[in-house]
Amino acid sequence: MSNSVTARRSRSRFPLGGWESSLLVLFVLQVLASSFSIPGFFDSFSSWLGLTENFLPFGIVALGLSVVILTGGIDLSVGSTAGLGAIVMAELWLHLGMPIWIAVMIGVALGALVGLINGLIITRFNTEPLIATLATSFIYRSVGTALAGESPPSGFPDSFNALGQGAIGGLIPYQLILFSILAVLFALLMSRSAYGRKIVMVGYNGDAARYSGLRVGRIVTSAYVISGAMAALAGIVLAAYYSAVRPDMGDILLLTTITTVVLGGISIFGGEGSIGGVVIAVLLLGFLRQGMLIAGFSDMVTTMVTGAILLAAITIRNLLSGRGTGMALLVRRFRNLGRDKLTEATK
Amino acid sequence: MALPDPVLPTPMQVGFYEARDLNKRFGPVTVLRGVSLAMQPGHIHTIMGENGAGKSTAFKILAGLIQPSSGSLHLDGQALSLASPAAAHHAGIYLVPQEPALMPELTVTETMFVGQLPTMWKFPRRVDWKAARARACQALATLDLDIDPDQLARHLSIAQQQQLECAKALLRGCRVILFDEPTSPLTTHEVERLFGTMRRLRGDGYTLGFISHRMDEVLDISDDISVLRDGVLVDSVERAAFDRVRLLSKMVGREMRVIPRRQISHATSQPVLEVADLAHAPRFRNVSFDLHKGEILGFAGLVGAGRTEIAETIFGIRARDKGIVRLAGEDISDLDTHDIIRKGLVYAPEDRARHGAVLPMSITENVTSGLLERVRSRAGLLSRSDEDRIGAETVQRYRVRCAGTDQKLRQLSGGNQQKVVFGKWMGIGPDVAILDEPTRGVDVGAKDEIYDLIDSLAQEGMGILIISSELEELVRICDRILSIYDGEIVAELTGDEITPERVSASYLTTAAASGR
Repeated sequence: MSNSVTARRSRSRFPLGGWESSLLVLFVLQVLASSFSIPGFFDSFSSWLGLTENFLPFGIVALGLSVVILTGGIDLSVGSTAGLGAIVMAELWLHLGMPIWIAVMIGVALGALVGLINGLIITRFNTEPLIATLATSFIYRSVGTALAGESPPSGFPDSFNALGQGAIGGLIPYQLILFSILAVLFALLMSRSAYGRKIVMVGYNGDAARYSGLRVGRIVTSAYVISGAMAALAGIVLAAYYSAVRPDMGDILLLTTITTVVLGGISIFGGEGSIGGVVIAVLLLGFLRQGMLIAGFSDMVTTMVTGAILLAAITIRNLLSGRGTGMALLVRRFRNLGRDKLTEATK
Repeated sequence: MALPDPVLPTPMQVGFYEARDLNKRFGPVTVLRGVSLAMQPGHIHTIMGENGAGKSTAFKILAGLIQPSSGSLHLDGQALSLASPAAAHHAGIYLVPQEPALMPELTVTETMFVGQLPTMWKFPRRVDWKAARARACQALATLDLDIDPDQLARHLSIAQQQQLECAKALLRGCRVILFDEPTSPLTTHEVERLFGTMRRLRGDGYTLGFISHRMDEVLDISDDISVLRDGVLVDSVERAAFDRVRLLSKMVGREMRVIPRRQISHATSQPVLEVADLAHAPRFRNVSFDLHKGEILGFAGLVGAGRTEIAETIFGIRARDKGIVRLAGEDISDLDTHDIIRKGLVYAPEDRARHGAVLPMSITENVTSGLLERVRSRAGLLSRSDEDRIGAETVQRYRVRCAGTDQKLRQLSGGNQQKVVFGKWMGIGPDVAILDEPTRGVDVGAKDEIYDLIDSLAQEGMGILIISSELEELVRICDRILSIYDGEIVAELTGDEITPERVSASYLTTAAASGR
């Protein structure tokens, strides 16, 4: 084989892989089907776009959580962090009379801070992310509930509520604009920046990353900081949407965002996946739930469907990637056999 | 209630275990060539040899862990076919691994009976713990072992785990017990205890196999010694004919092996890496050496002598107790790996899949991962064209055979993966490169290419430190060789002193002299 021929890229640069493309097709089909079969799903373009306000906060959390899952970790505290961020924001505004947008910034910063705490606990004490963030989620939620008191703050100024409910020219919701900007930012960060490359490398093989001179601890910690900040931001957007703080959103937020990230094609083992997939999954899952709610299904049914989708997504991905199935076990056994032979031979 | 017979199976005066004409190939590599061994009941039969001589492979075949390519096994004259360790246990053959993999949360009793706990009642069947414990106690007492049967396995020391494995062998009624290099992780006292157990078993008529590098202990305990070299049985002697010098020369090989050494050295007198009194208990101590510009320095020694640990400490992966590392005169001992790389020292680890490379990532991504600053970036985004250029240059310069620079590394052969790892590090122009087992898993043809590559890097003035367990490799390319034994530099060889025999003897004789 000649090297002048081989020294080129062999594949196209189409930004979406097979999984993402399938999701996109599924999304289009689902929207078309819902539009025709569910009355009220597509009354007008603006009302259809308005549906996104119901689920885009979940998307914002999913973007941040994707970074953590790409490192091979998990952040179970996103729900609590969202609540805590929103409550702190509201309390600062209500009781200290702080300008609301300053309070928003402090709320997001607080999310970053609790993310930093998660990250430090995980990297410094070598704790399992699952356990560490489960524990901190209880703590953050308790602190949030305590701060909120018996009657959580509500009645924010209209300028703030517009963040959750308003739309430019009555057509494009501010939420959608915010999410789009964040989505593009995250997609570029993960796929094109040095930082994203490091995240992926740590996710695929943390040891190799360390031997390549990456400061793995810092990189992992930064992922939790991002996840915390995004969660707090999402909590604040939710507060604007309801014009009230809801400290009880944690669990459904967590379940939905993990589902979204996994459905979006990010491997829970780390490394694999793209932000593009997550964005499509946000829309697919969001419109699906909205469609079902409009069609009259109860919240319980939609939650059940969410669970089923999570299961299906993870099963299909495992089948495709050859991980965690009987087939995969066979494949791996053969691979190991080959590797053992290699090490044997060189001993 | 039918209690199983709590009496231990008594060793019969049989157990004549024979291997006839064993051959074993792994792909293109032949590890054993026509090896025949005869192990007698009531004897301790030791196999000696250097790294890669085929000792462990031979034992693994004898214990059913791997299958020979050809040849046969005979127990008391009857041909055996051992498809698995379980089959070997059934036939009465047990291998005690160097570091037994016990289930840490089980008790000693449970560990001993894994998979075959005595039961009582037909239905519902239940474990007869009383009987299990009684039999465990008896097996432990037979070997005079001071191990509490109710203890958790994770509290056992390695020595105790090995002894527990012996007890397991007895419980399974095995007559042939093989010890794969049991003494290297043990202290002197523990070795004595293990030998006590082995002598007791020998006295009871068991057939024992033993692997060791340490001449003194081998002479002490063995009844028969077989010497393997490069997969060939070169000597087999009985106790009366033991002779230290003869065994050593057999292990090392007396006939001259002709190895084309590098003709031209690029070594200068200018030190680029200075290591002084580096130590990290208990792996290594008193490590001091200089590496010069353009020099190829080799670390020779047995597997587990601490060579990789020394390299990883220099590279900032492991902590150190004391010592100073200077790179081009600058103290780098307190820097982390990230900074050490940027000062100009790189390390290619021996285990590519785990440490050296990210196999699911592309060639280009692996190449640039060592120093992402190499890639031009605009507004924080890496330039794709610049990264592709670096990937393509690396593929061309290091002759990586691939379908394209965005091919995943796991799809390449071992040799090509290694070239990518080289390209990753050499592309950033380091002053010093440490290469740990640079040709492991690399086929013969690609080895030559890698040797040429190393030579050309030295010619450019890089200081290169090579850790290798392949003597011929060291002899072939090194300007100077340091022998490491048990965490210390024990010999330095230069120029004409560098022959496979002398390099090998430099650490093996130390092994024999210190003995432990």
